[in-house]
Amino acid sequence: MADLSSPQKLLGAPPPPEGVGGGRCSEISTELIRSLTELQELEAVYERLCGEEKVVERELDALLEQQNSIESKMVALHRMGPNLQLIEGDAKQLAGMITFTCSLAENVSSKVRQLDLAKNRLYQAIQRADDILDLKFCMDGVQTALRNEDYEQAAAHIHRYLCLDKSVIELSRQGKEGSMIDANLKLLQEAEQRLKTIVTEKFAIATKEGDLPQVERFFKIFPLLGLHEDGLSKFSEYLCKQVASKAEENLLLVLETDMSDRRAAIIFADTLTLLFEGIARIVETHQPIVETYYGPGKLYTLIKYLQVECDRQVEKVVNKFIKQRNYHQQFRHVQSNLRNSTTEKIEPRELDPILTEVTLMNARSELYLSFLRKRISSDFEVGDSMASEEVKQEHQKYLDKLLNNCLLSCTMQELIGLYITMEEYFMRETVNKAVALDTYEKGQLTSSMVDDVFYIVKKCIGRALSSSSIDCLCAMINLATTELESDFRDVLCNKLRMGFPATTLQDIQRGVTSAVNIMHSSLQQGKFDTKGIESTDEAKLSFLVTLNNVEICSENISTLKKTLESDCTKLFSQGIGGEQAQAKFDSCLSDLAAVSSKFKDLLQEGLTELNNTAIKPQVQPWINTFLSVSHNIEEEEFNDYEANDPWVQQFILNLEQQMAEFKAGLSPVIYDNLTSLMTSFVAVELERVVLKSTFNRLGGLQFDKELRSLIAYLTTVTTWTIRDKFARLSQMATILNLERVTEILDYWGANSGPLTWRLTPAEVRQVLALRIDFRNEDIKRLRL
Amino acid sequence: MSMEDYDFLFKIVLIGNAGVGKTCLVRRFTQGLFPPGQGATIGVDFMIKTVEINGEKVKLQIWDTAGQERFRSITQSYYRSANALILTYDITCEESFRCLPEWLREIEQYASNKVITVLVGNKIDLAERREVSQQRAEEFSEAQDMYYLETSAKESDNVEKLFLDLACRLIREARQNTLVNSVSSPLPGEGKSINYLTCCNFN
Repeated sequence: MADLSSPQKLLGAPPPPEGVGGGRCSEISTELIRSLTELQELEAVYERLCGEEKVVERELDALLEQQNSIESKMVALHRMGPNLQLIEGDAKQLAGMITFTCSLAENVSSKVRQLDLAKNRLYQAIQRADDILDLKFCMDGVQTALRNEDYEQAAAHIHRYLCLDKSVIELSRQGKEGSMIDANLKLLQEAEQRLKTIVTEKFAIATKEGDLPQVERFFKIFPLLGLHEDGLSKFSEYLCKQVASKAEENLLLVLETDMSDRRAAIIFADTLTLLFEGIARIVETHQPIVETYYGPGKLYTLIKYLQVECDRQVEKVVNKFIKQRNYHQQFRHVQSNLRNSTTEKIEPRELDPILTEVTLMNARSELYLSFLRKRISSDFEVGDSMASEEVKQEHQKYLDKLLNNCLLSCTMQELIGLYITMEEYFMRETVNKAVALDTYEKGQLTSSMVDDVFYIVKKCIGRALSSSSIDCLCAMINLATTELESDFRDVLCNKLRMGFPATTLQDIQRGVTSAVNIMHSSLQQGKFDTKGIESTDEAKLSFLVTLNNVEICSENISTLKKTLESDCTKLFSQGIGGEQAQAKFDSCLSDLAAVSSKFKDLLQEGLTELNNTAIKPQVQPWINTFLSVSHNIEEEEFNDYEANDPWVQQFILNLEQQMAEFKAGLSPVIYDNLTSLMTSFVAVELERVVLKSTFNRLGGLQFDKELRSLIAYLTTVTTWTIRDKFARLSQMATILNLERVTEILDYWGANSGPLTWRLTPAEVRQVLALRIDFRNEDIKRLRL
Repeated sequence: MSMEDYDFLFKIVLIGNAGVGKTCLVRRFTQGLFPPGQGATIGVDFMIKTVEINGEKVKLQIWDTAGQERFRSITQSYYRSANALILTYDITCEESFRCLPEWLREIEQYASNKVITVLVGNKIDLAERREVSQQRAEEFSEAQDMYYLETSAKESDNVEKLFLDLACRLIREARQNTLVNSVSSPLPGEGKSINYLTCCNFN
């Protein structure tokens, strides 16, 4: 069919240039031809017309050629006609069938829907029938159960009734049997009210009689009647009464306790412990019932009620404690003692028992509170397993509020607040006492006060630790830091400031009367207080002992830190004191540990003082005697020196004698430090005198021998390597020992080998110049 | 990061009456939070924040103390080791301002004489309930030779400034001390002017 519409394509001929088909006139109009007058123009037009004619003819021929094929196609078309009619009929039939099927399907599905609806309604009907039956059953059951006093059964029926769908009941009332159901409902509601009254009454009677099985029986019924809060509050009321009566009994016992009783000193802590243990036992016993019958998350409510009673009882016990132990009076006394020293001092020892008792009381409270926290937390956790984060946080807040704001917490915080001040006083006063009673036993390096003071500090911090309160512990650590860093350090510092009495050479020899020495020294020094120091010997001893004391203090502080660290790990592992506890403790403890280095600084100051007053003035003259020994000697003198040593043996002897005193009186570490200072001084001073002397070849050899003896001796008395300190002197000896000036070049520069020269070229020349047998020109000529 | 990864370590202790907003100031500065319905602090709380000032790491140990009377003996024990004290009052509470002399006596008694004290009037977001005028507070702080700053922990006004200015001042003070102690050793960064958030301009 498409072929018919496009004859040109069939022809395969290009479209004629001047329009298609004969419907078109020539582009040369008749008017144009008429208007033409010139022959030439006419001819041109004629030519064009002829051209057009030829084209038209060609087109006509082409069209005529198509005629056959068009005709045959027309025949085919005529044959198709009847077929098309058939198809149309079939299509109409199909459409009809589809419409029918569709309506059928709709019909069926609507029926299914109806069936479904019917089924649902049927279910509802069954449910309602069940409910109504249940309702009736409950009604009957309640009546019977009530008649039989089977309250559990009755409550179960009421519970069933309360669980029924209220709208169903409402609908049922509107039904045909409405009046009957109405009656039933009314009866049920009456029964519910009656049961509530009965249970409440019976519960009240049971609690009054202290009939625990009955109390628990009715306690279990409350939640069935939807009275969770009521049940918990009434039950706790009962429990609180028990707590109260037990606590009162215990408090009466306290008042009757004989003061000689073994536990009399901590009787209030014991009473609190009994109270806490009682409550803990109650929680322990009744938690399963609450969990089972009231569901998880309700323990908080129970404990909230119990804590009110606990607070009431704690208040009573604490008030009695404060009264009987004169807690507040003692505190005020201590406070006034701390403010001014004129009022009569309270004996620290008297505070000892009360301080111990308070910390014990607080420890018990902390333990009890952490018990409650754990129990409530885990109960909330079970209840909140599906709850949102906000609900969990809300519950955590309730818990924090309950435990942080309860009267027990506040009361204990108050007691501990006062305790800290009293413990501070105890520490300070006892330390003062230890300082005042300081004694030194012969043969000991330190005096009694160091051990005593650290015993006291440890005891006070230990007691604060036993309170289980991190803040209390940290406060005591801070106060101990203050006490050691300022007060006690001042004591030692003042002792060192008195100085080591300067002695003259003769004083080394024993037997000279001390009285002379004191006067001598006091006059010389003018600064030291003779009061309390009977002799120079004692002053010396006091200084040395103090040095040892200072060193031990520094060590003890480090030990104390380590001990406290290990003691506290247990406390932290229990999770007491919140998440910051460890950080707070570590920070306070590091402040305490820092005091150790302050004592080390003090030790260094003391050593310098000792070196300046006791060693330098003694050693200097001994070294100066070197100048009086000639090192410009002949063979004969050299040999004589061999037999009768002119200087070094005496010097070593003197040093030994002097250091012996310090070796006996000082701890090995301090003694070592002191010898180190002494050797440095000897090296410097010896260098000074050597540079003032003159030598010849044998003199140089003599000096070399002397130096070797000295170094050999000093090596035996110190653990420090002294080779280094004497390096310059040894090199000077090497130079003084040379045969010729130029021999130095065997040791210098490229030839130095492993030797590192500590002398500058100028110094080498200076030392060479000490040799009187070396010529100046030779020295000048040296290339160093 | 190692524990000792800082150039300076300072202890700052916040003191003042209960309920003036000490905990909120600390929380705002260290955690950027303003927790409403904050319970009273028990004993002392401890926070650490390391800030960088002119390329130097400054570790601030902030001790937030309980304002309630019964914790006084605990909080007092922290005064002596403090490098700085932030004495806080509530501008909407005359009583908290009237207690300041008492607090100053405590500082005098327990703190080191080198301690830097800053007076802070908190809660300026509640300006309509103001009971203590700025002028009065300024006069008071001037008479006591203290720096004074008004803040709002809720609106985060001046909170950063309070702590950072304080840190700058503490650095300066620490430098001076080391200078006195060891004149010979030149300090790193010496001579550089510290200019952070118009630093060290208390008033």
